[in-house]
Parts: sequence; C-alpha cells; structure tokens
Amino acid sequence: MEPVHNIAACPEFEALLEDQLAGELSGADAEKLAKHVEGCAACGDALEEATAGTRLLQLAEAAPDPGPGFSRVVMARIRAESDRRSEEKSLWLPLISVAWRFAASATLALLVLVTFDASRHSQARTRVAQSHDLFADPTSPPASRDEVLRMVVETNHGN
Amino acid sequence: MADVPKSMAASASAIALPMARQRKREEDAELVRLAQSGEEAAFEELIRRHQQRVFGLVNGILRRREDVEDVAQQVFLKVFVSLKRFDLRAAFSTWLYKITVNECWDYLRKKKVRPLVYEADLSEEQVSRLDGVVSAERPPESPVQRAEARDMLERLLDELPEQDQRLLTLKEVEGFSVQELAEILSLNVNTVKVRLFRARARLMDVYRRRLGSVSNRPAAKGRQKTHGTGS
Repeated sequence: MEPVHNIAACPEFEALLEDQLAGELSGADAEKLAKHVEGCAACGDALEEATAGTRLLQLAEAAPDPGPGFSRVVMARIRAESDRRSEEKSLWLPLISVAWRFAASATLALLVLVTFDASRHSQARTRVAQSHDLFADPTSPPASRDEVLRMVVETNHGN
Repeated sequence: MADVPKSMAASASAIALPMARQRKREEDAELVRLAQSGEEAAFEELIRRHQQRVFGLVNGILRRREDVEDVAQQVFLKVFVSLKRFDLRAAFSTWLYKITVNECWDYLRKKKVRPLVYEADLSEEQVSRLDGVVSAERPPESPVQRAEARDMLERLLDELPEQDQRLLTLKEVEGFSVQELAEILSLNVNTVKVRLFRARARLMDVYRRRLGSVSNRPAAKGRQKTHGTGS
C-alpha cells in the first residue's frame, strides 16, 4: 500500500493519529502523540488534512432505514421458501413410501432365498456324509514303512 | 458530562461500551438458541436488531443503494438456513457480518458490477462549494445544496481504490468501529487504523487534485454520470 498523498505522516504514528481523529486517544498515548506532533510538521499537516477529509465524509448519506416492514418481508420469504420445500417433499412422499415397501419386500425375499439355499446345502452335505459312511474302509491306513511291508507280505502269503 | 475532563469521559465510555456489547451478545445468543429450536419470532427479533447494520455494511461495500435491500434479504435467508450449524463460539453479529461480506462479494462477482463512471469533471462552482465544507466555513445549507455536495463527494470517493472507499464509508458513514471492521474484514486492528488514515489522506489528495485542475481550467464543464455494468 504505497502512500500516494503528498503529506505523509510518520508511519509509526499513523495508528495513533487515526485514534486521535476518532477521539479515542487518552493517557500516555495522547501525550506521546502531542509531543511528536509539536515537533513534526508532516504529522501535524497530515492530521489537519485527515480532519478535513473526515468533515468531507460527513456529507455522505448512510444506508436507508430498512423500516419495520423489512423483517416481515424476510420472514414471509423464509416461510414461502420452507413451504416450497415441504411441497416438493410431499410430491416425492408417495414414491418414497412405495420405494420403502419395495425395498422391504426385496429384503424379505432375499432372506427367504438365503435360508432355503442354506438348508438345501446342509441336507446335501448330510447325504454325502452318509454315503461316505457306507463305503468307508474300516481298516486304518498303515502308520509306518514296516507296517506297509508287513501288509504286502500278508497279502502275498496266500499266493 | 460537560464538566468531566475529556480523558475521564473517554475512559468511562471505554468501560461502558464493552459492557453494553457483552449484554447485547448474550441477548443475541439467547435469541439464536430459541431460533435454533424453531421459534420464528426469535429469528424475526434477530433481524430487527441487526437489519440496520446489515444495510449499512451492504451499502458500504456495494455503494449501490438500489441493491441494498435485495442483498440484505438474501443475507438473512442464508443466515436462517445455516443457523442450525452456528455454534455460538463467536458473536452472532460477527458471524452475520461475515456472511454479509461474502454475500456482497458474490453479488459483485455475479453482476460484474463496475464502479460508477463519471464522464466529466466537477465545475468550479461545485468545487468551491466542497471547499466550504472542507474548511468548515460554509457547510451546505439547503437540502438541494447538501444533495449536490453529497453527489460530489461520491464522485471523489469513486476515484479512490475500492478498499479505501469501503473502509471510509463503513467507518465514517455507516458508523462501524475499527474493532468491528477488523473482525469483519479479518484484519489486524492496527492495520485498519493505518489504512483508514491513509485512505483519508488519499481522499484529500483526490480533492486537492480536482481543486487544482478546476483552478487551471479556462471553463468549467458540466457533469454527467453513468452506471457501468459489465454484464
């Protein structure tokens, strides 16, 4: 932010000068500024110039008064907006309820199918196990190499 | 207060002001809680309490009086929609002013609004009228003179950078404090003070340049102004 104006105040005193303009300077800061301005023509001139600028700004007109009707207008807009939203909602409501029912029926059907499938699988497994039992070899497999040789010898014994 | 020294009066008001602000903040918080629980009357009361400041802020940023009400309405609609999310950690006013500033930037971006463009210089008579105001010797008396002087000030302000225009208008015309401006514009308090002081100097610089150009001119021209919209 370059100072384009002709009268430049000392940068370290600009904030204090602004306080002085606003009438918010008191105590040690006020004394400090007064002492400085006494010896600094640039700051004195800048303060005078800023005071004139403030006087000029007093001419400007503040924003128009919204009046008591403003809040009513805003509230009416808010109500209209929420009415519109709830209307939109009510338009979708029957569709939403149908969708929910459809979703519930589909879940139920899926559940029935899964249960049916699981029970079928368990029946099949039982049947396989039973057939294994029917054809199962009652002898246990040989545990060591010696046992295998003994079995071979026993088998060939009859020959 | 007439007999009280100025410094004492200043410190007394320095104590009273934060207290009043704190009380207002607590009242706002209560109204916000009620509005969050669905009480429309509480929200309407919040609008009533802050509408003037929001108007001032919008006017200070846009400097287009014809659009102030529309933008202010939009601000309160947005506030109503997002009120449930507001957690009261900051003051309601600070939150509201930030929404207002954002809404103004959105508005300026969407509309691509350019500042007022003046096609002609000020006349000698007009400048001398302003000179009366600056020197505090001859303030404009009639409403017509005042309106004309105001119009001239607007033209001077339009020659300043936008940031200067906004700061000066918000502070001197709409009455926002330096503290408030710092919060609204997310700036340091000292930065706001320095910028304000420099903006005043720049305003006077523009004014002096105008004064100089009028005194060097053989014949003063008339004035016209047009609104520039880029859309």
